[in-house]
Amino acid sequence: MSVPSMIVDKLSEMPPASSLALYIDVNSYFDALRAIVDIYATKNDMYVFYISSTIPSRNIVSIFELLGIETSRVFFVDTISHLMPVETEYSDKFLYIESPTMLENIMLKIEYLLRKYRDKRAIVVLDSVNSMAIHNDLKILSEFLHIFVTSLRNWEAYMVIISLKEQTTQEIRTMLNFVTDDTLEVGEG
Amino acid sequence: MLRMADISRERCRTGIEGLDHILNGGIPRGNTVLITGSCGTGKTTLSLEFLVHGALWGERSMYISVTEAPEKLVENMINYEFFDKKLITEKKLILVDLQEIYVKLGLEKLEFTLEDVNILVSQIVKMVKELGVRRLVIDSITSICYRLTSKEQIREFILHLGKELSDLGCTTLLVSELLPSSQGYSQYGVEEAIADGIILLGNMERRGDLLRTLQVIKMRGTTHSRAKYVLDLTSIGVLLAPMLKGGSVEVR
Repeated sequence: MSVPSMIVDKLSEMPPASSLALYIDVNSYFDALRAIVDIYATKNDMYVFYISSTIPSRNIVSIFELLGIETSRVFFVDTISHLMPVETEYSDKFLYIESPTMLENIMLKIEYLLRKYRDKRAIVVLDSVNSMAIHNDLKILSEFLHIFVTSLRNWEAYMVIISLKEQTTQEIRTMLNFVTDDTLEVGEG
Repeated sequence: MLRMADISRERCRTGIEGLDHILNGGIPRGNTVLITGSCGTGKTTLSLEFLVHGALWGERSMYISVTEAPEKLVENMINYEFFDKKLITEKKLILVDLQEIYVKLGLEKLEFTLEDVNILVSQIVKMVKELGVRRLVIDSITSICYRLTSKEQIREFILHLGKELSDLGCTTLLVSELLPSSQGYSQYGVEEAIADGIILLGNMERRGDLLRTLQVIKMRGTTHSRAKYVLDLTSIGVLLAPMLKGGSVEVR
């Protein structure tokens, strides 16, 4: 079975308000994005609230365009662009947070989107837990994910936490096992 | 579970969902609450949102401004997606410049006597009564207290004002400015003891990040959370998230 099919099938079998730890290898990254943002969210007419902490949101949009993925339903909470001297555009499509260490502000920006765009269901994507772990102590990151995932349940939103297998330590795995409802491993390794 | 204290008092919902949740439904009706913090922490924004929601729900609301011109306040409120200019034209939301009241009452002086204080309180109460105001914000109480010459006068002013407004069923927010170096929750140390509630807004530093925070220190007539929350000022209003326990340092 292909990587996109595995991810879409997994998400499809999960009830609303569920959270998924998605372990992928680097080679499956684009397939995973296509599966979540394009195939699954489009099929189910959902918004995608995308937390980018690895790649600046503008670059992700470029990737989506390259892959032919429609981005009108995607909103970014970008935690990384302000760390670099890149030009930023301010709108609901691109909400910026000064640094990936401002964890409460990530929750607040997602809540803002959930409150403002309530006409469709939403899937929240955290890309990735590994880059969040570079900037944050694992203890506070666990606390953040626990509260965040719990609050998303109240909104009946799905959550996918991406973890790159090559960068996943046992501590990260243990943390994700604790905070998420289900896990899926795709790709090699 | 709601306790007796929570169900016995009618609530004045602030309309800020996170804050109403912290307060178990809202501010007990008729309370006088100190909104305190240093500059840039969101005191005026939070107070205006409290009034706009009230006006939208049909409760006449009044903002008495000491420092900002009403036109500038309207400009700030336009950023709210839920704000409707009709609230002002239809006088559901009334903006008052305190300087004009001072002129009207002949109180254009640097220091007030006890008699001046009583005249000012009577005028505010008169407006609240005549206009049927249910929500009042005075921004800021510190600027008024600046003209009072003793702590006794400040105590008398806030006690008298709070009592009269409470009797009218008017829920009042008194915006209080804190200096970054201040200890306690108010500049003169008297305001905090007399107010029914204290909502402290502040800045918290964590590893170089500066977070805006909110904490309900006290609120008579209800049980409430005393935890610290991080707030965000957005076009859909004030949003709150629980503060993570991660070695923060308070910066006023």
